[in-house]
Amino acid sequence: MAINRFLFASVFVCCLVATCDGIVSFNSLKPTLTVTATHKGGVLKAGVDNVTVTWMLDPSVPAGTDSSYKTIKVKLCYAPVSQVDRGWRKTKDDLSKDKTCSHKIVAKPYVAGGAVATATWTVQRDVPTAKYFVRAYAHDAADMEVAYGQTTSADKKTNLFDIEAVTGRHVSLDIASVCFSAFSVVSLFGFFFLERRKTKIAEAK
Amino acid sequence: MEISHGSYNQKKFALPVDSEHKATEFRLFSAAAPHMRAFHLSWISFFACFVSTFAAPPLLPIIRDNLDLTATDIGNAGIAAVSGAVFARIAMGTACDLFGPRLASATLTLLTAPAVYCTSIADSPISFLLVRFFTGFSLATFVSTQFWMSSLFSGRVVGTANGVAGGWGNLGGGATQLIMPLVFDLIQNIGATKFTAWRIAFFIPALFQTLSAYGIFFLGQDLPDGNYSELHKSGEKHKDNFAQVFHHAVTNYRGWILALTYGYCFGVELTIDNIIAQYFYDRFNVNLHTAGIIAASFGLANLFSRPGGGMLSDFMAKRFGMRGRLWTLWVVQTLGGVFCIILGQVGSLGVSVAVMLVFSVFVQAACGLTFGVVPFVSRRSLGIISGMTGGGGNVGAVLTQVIFFRGSRYSTETGLTLMGVMMICCTLLITLIYFPQWGGMFCGPSSKGKTTEEDYYMSEWSSSEREKGFHRASLKFSENSRSERGRKIGSAATPIDGTPNTYV
Repeated sequence: MAINRFLFASVFVCCLVATCDGIVSFNSLKPTLTVTATHKGGVLKAGVDNVTVTWMLDPSVPAGTDSSYKTIKVKLCYAPVSQVDRGWRKTKDDLSKDKTCSHKIVAKPYVAGGAVATATWTVQRDVPTAKYFVRAYAHDAADMEVAYGQTTSADKKTNLFDIEAVTGRHVSLDIASVCFSAFSVVSLFGFFFLERRKTKIAEAK
Repeated sequence: MEISHGSYNQKKFALPVDSEHKATEFRLFSAAAPHMRAFHLSWISFFACFVSTFAAPPLLPIIRDNLDLTATDIGNAGIAAVSGAVFARIAMGTACDLFGPRLASATLTLLTAPAVYCTSIADSPISFLLVRFFTGFSLATFVSTQFWMSSLFSGRVVGTANGVAGGWGNLGGGATQLIMPLVFDLIQNIGATKFTAWRIAFFIPALFQTLSAYGIFFLGQDLPDGNYSELHKSGEKHKDNFAQVFHHAVTNYRGWILALTYGYCFGVELTIDNIIAQYFYDRFNVNLHTAGIIAASFGLANLFSRPGGGMLSDFMAKRFGMRGRLWTLWVVQTLGGVFCIILGQVGSLGVSVAVMLVFSVFVQAACGLTFGVVPFVSRRSLGIISGMTGGGGNVGAVLTQVIFFRGSRYSTETGLTLMGVMMICCTLLITLIYFPQWGGMFCGPSSKGKTTEEDYYMSEWSSSEREKGFHRASLKFSENSRSERGRKIGSAATPIDGTPNTYV
């Protein structure tokens, strides 16, 4: 019994230490924000299309829940299907190590009073091709996450949207690659020709 | 200083030379033709090829988003990058034997440059794998580098020349982890977006590679006395028969043993080049830049560790001959395996980096030591033996990555430990290498019958070939290789009559 109590106490202390250390666990956050994302139908193109995000405090939560909220940070997050076999997008409970939401959409100060806040965001050109949802984190004055809201369900399977990345290719680059490659090969044959001429001259001497 | 007599014009060399006109000294800060100039041309072009082959890993965080790569795609591309060179290195060895290292390396470097240019237009996992595969072929210039050094530098300094050329070339694998992110940042600052900037960045290694090939063609020379094509025409060097050269290479068991053991020093080095940044990033949670710097420092140790191995080989040979070279190789490579095991076990960042650096020194020195032995395995088939050994290095890299570092069967730290164990086991094969004229690790030179350097190297030529005088270069080499007996002149007897035995 004493050991049980000791274990419980040490776990409790560790949790306290963890929060003191700045480690926020996602599972400890409550989904108190209602977030929606609207966009044109079909696949969104990076650099071209817009996403309009709205967020507000869920009316059904008890009053005073949002007393510590200072900033809302809205992020673009990978759906599980786009995380498969990609360890660099892995979901981890420790938010400082979590890589699910790596693209920032917008950060705005929190306005209490239950109003709906909006932001329109053009999909940035470095967003990769994948399936996404939108999540908003509420941060307190110490910039620690204290609550969240997302456009999808808890298992992250519904209401996902696709984004298609830019290729990064340009016609001028394509042409340059082909020309330089061709030049390398042609100059090689030029070398062989020169070499043969040199030995013929040496032979003639 | 010896200046050779002969039927051709007397030539004066900037460095002291032996009877084959190979330099007996290695002067790093000279660029005198043909010896030191060839040294600088060959290490620079090999460096360029290494930069190109490993240009992708530091930019992978950007490329994997642009091309939608999975971890499996990335792993496969990494394996493809080192597997192409397996056969390319053997082919390169043959090409050096037949056409000379100058043409062979300039040709390969120019033919693989298009793969680097075309990395800019890759747009899918498959095209990415293909460009890495074809770019990897350029690592075969390692063979021409070693062959060229072995042709221009005498036994006294061949280990040093091979070690410095190989080491400074390998440096490219570390330098690229620093160069490519810098070039990428520069291009981004000029105004390109991320997904375009990395594409433009690949033009830098591609251009570097192209220019180094031009340098070799215009400024290099195969042998101290001229290029293969000129010497073939003038009759001073006969154009050898491929089937014979190939036969004498594959029937020499020492070539196969060295190929396998090289797989467990150089192959290990290539594997680490591919996985170490990710290892530090994942296990110790350093950021990507820090992981890249740690990864770079592994490759940058090549600046002194591989040359150090070559110099150590030459130093041990002066006192203990070939037996000294073999013992030192075994000891250093085994210690490399031990440190690899420790690396997998260590759990703190600082100690891990320290162990990695010690490990890098030992494993790279072992590479240098290997190529202190290779020039003596065969004279006639030096190119193919060099190619087999070099190819074996890449086979080791492929095998190791497939067995220990693919998928999630083993964690990376377990993989490292197991790789160390495999290193120690495979290195034991060095105990089986035996030269009748010099001995092996546990046996002295053979005392029965005719066992001189001449016997060993002449056994590669048939009597009809000897009648035509094709063996003359090997004869000179045998005389010069007497230095491998060490300080005590060995008990090997000189042949009484002119018919030496054939040795396997």
